[in-house]
Amino acid sequence: MEYILLFISASIVNNFVLSRFLGICPFIGVSKKLDTSIGMSLAVIFVMGVAGIVTWIIQYGILNPLNLGYLQTIIFILVIAALVQFVEMVIEKTSPALYSSLGIFLPLITTNCAVLGSAILNIQNNFSFVKMLIFTIGSAFGFALSLTIFAGIRERIELSDIPFYFRGLPITLITAGILSLAFMGFSGLVK
Amino acid sequence: MRFSPFIDGLWKNNGVFKQVLGTCPTLAVTTSVKNGLGMGLATTFVLICSNAVISMIKNIVPSKVRIPVFIVIIASFVTIVDLIMNAYLHDLHKVLGLFIPLIVVNCIILGRAESFASKNSVFSSILDGFGIGLGFTLALTILGSLREILGNGSIIGINIFGGSYSPAIVMILPPGAFIGLGFIMFMIAYFEKRKKN
Amino acid sequence: MKNNLNLIYIPAIVSAIAAFLLAFTFSSTKEKIEEAYRQEMLKALNIVLPKHNNKPDQEKVELEGKEVYIAKEDGSLVGFAIKSKSSKGYSGDIDILVGIDKSGKVSGVEILKHAETPGLGSKIETDSFKNSFKGLGKSDKIMVKKDGGIIDQFSGATISPRAVCEAVTEAVRFINDKVITNSKISGGGK
Repeated sequence: MEYILLFISASIVNNFVLSRFLGICPFIGVSKKLDTSIGMSLAVIFVMGVAGIVTWIIQYGILNPLNLGYLQTIIFILVIAALVQFVEMVIEKTSPALYSSLGIFLPLITTNCAVLGSAILNIQNNFSFVKMLIFTIGSAFGFALSLTIFAGIRERIELSDIPFYFRGLPITLITAGILSLAFMGFSGLVK
Repeated sequence: MRFSPFIDGLWKNNGVFKQVLGTCPTLAVTTSVKNGLGMGLATTFVLICSNAVISMIKNIVPSKVRIPVFIVIIASFVTIVDLIMNAYLHDLHKVLGLFIPLIVVNCIILGRAESFASKNSVFSSILDGFGIGLGFTLALTILGSLREILGNGSIIGINIFGGSYSPAIVMILPPGAFIGLGFIMFMIAYFEKRKKN
Repeated sequence: MKNNLNLIYIPAIVSAIAAFLLAFTFSSTKEKIEEAYRQEMLKALNIVLPKHNNKPDQEKVELEGKEVYIAKEDGSLVGFAIKSKSSKGYSGDIDILVGIDKSGKVSGVEILKHAETPGLGSKIETDSFKNSFKGLGKSDKIMVKKDGGIIDQFSGATISPRAVCEAVTEAVRFINDKVITNSKISGGGK
């Protein structure tokens, strides 16, 4: 039960994009079309999951025993950057089809703060390995959920008649605000 | 113009308003002027230092390993800021929390390293870092003031409307960040496009 | 060949310099950071405890896994402080520090950590709310008015004050039942 609540809390109540403000760049940047946003979501879920596991092991296996906690930021970002490169190479070799659909998003993930953010939050909250996995998957799922919903909304905005000066970014941000307002309805759901 | 990188950085290349980069910290920490200002200045420090170092070593770093080297340099300065703030500005550090290590992934910094510092002299890179940093700080302060005034009825912690004003709490909640920035963007579009026509 | 070597040793040198710089900054700020955390705790302790002139963060005892901070004025006991926690906050745990004088009544409450909604639940941080606990003891109903107690809730936010009440009650009980009666801590016949 505790794990289910943690999952709901990470994915919906404290949604990464809409209430923690992590991963806003891709949220605004690649949410113009539904299918690209699904591709981005899948890539993020994958990288975030692997990065979560690797950084957790590094933190508890290397940094903590050696008292090198202050190297956390630098090591984590390097791990994520290396991981993204590695994933890119593996996908390119093994599945060209997947690569052609995900490929362009992969380099962008290094600077997606949701990935580094979830890795650091795992450590800050003193999660056990299982909790870390659930939290990471939950947050990645929440990211994917909000990105997909938002892409769906934006596809419709494209077709509507918007006051001239609101076109583009202003209306996108205000829409995101309203979506975030809707997600606030979930707060208090998990105690 | 020797100082043009500084002036361009402040407004023309403004990371938040013009290039829509670094939106995560912009939205997350601007619940008050003080937080916005603190985050902006921390980022400015990292920007100036990383720009300076990167422009110094731009000729000896092979382009294949450019990005990892830049990341190492930026991450080091971020960690230094993190430690120093924790020691000397403890309360502010507590409020900004997670978003200090996340300065590393602020696209503005890596963006400036790639597009400016790796091509220009040390002096203009420092100016550019200074300008872009202050531009970022300016953006955070504007959004922070807007949200603090509307959402809390105060500015820099001083109550300005008196007791009877009941603040629009939504402005300091997450939705207020998006809506506030949305309206600022609208104002900018309004004035700039009108000037053109 | 030389270019290939460059690919390895330039990043290596940069990393080495970075590591050295960081180690230096870390070691020179380490004490200051620890001191900042200590000051933060001490500040909260000074707010909640009755007038004292010892260093309560150094005179603490552990009882049933909880740390009890002891305040003394000129060597004689004046009160205790204890951390308490409620998991019933609106969003996440609320950590508080409760000060209790030697007669078992609350001398002060300080919120250490919370994630309540700004502007609504976060009003638990206001002085008027925190002061409403002062002087309350074990026999008082430390509950929000909605639940039949004596503490004011806020319009639009009952859950956060209720959670604080729960944490205060727990601290008051613990100190009254376990600490004051414990002669080893409260000094026995003194």
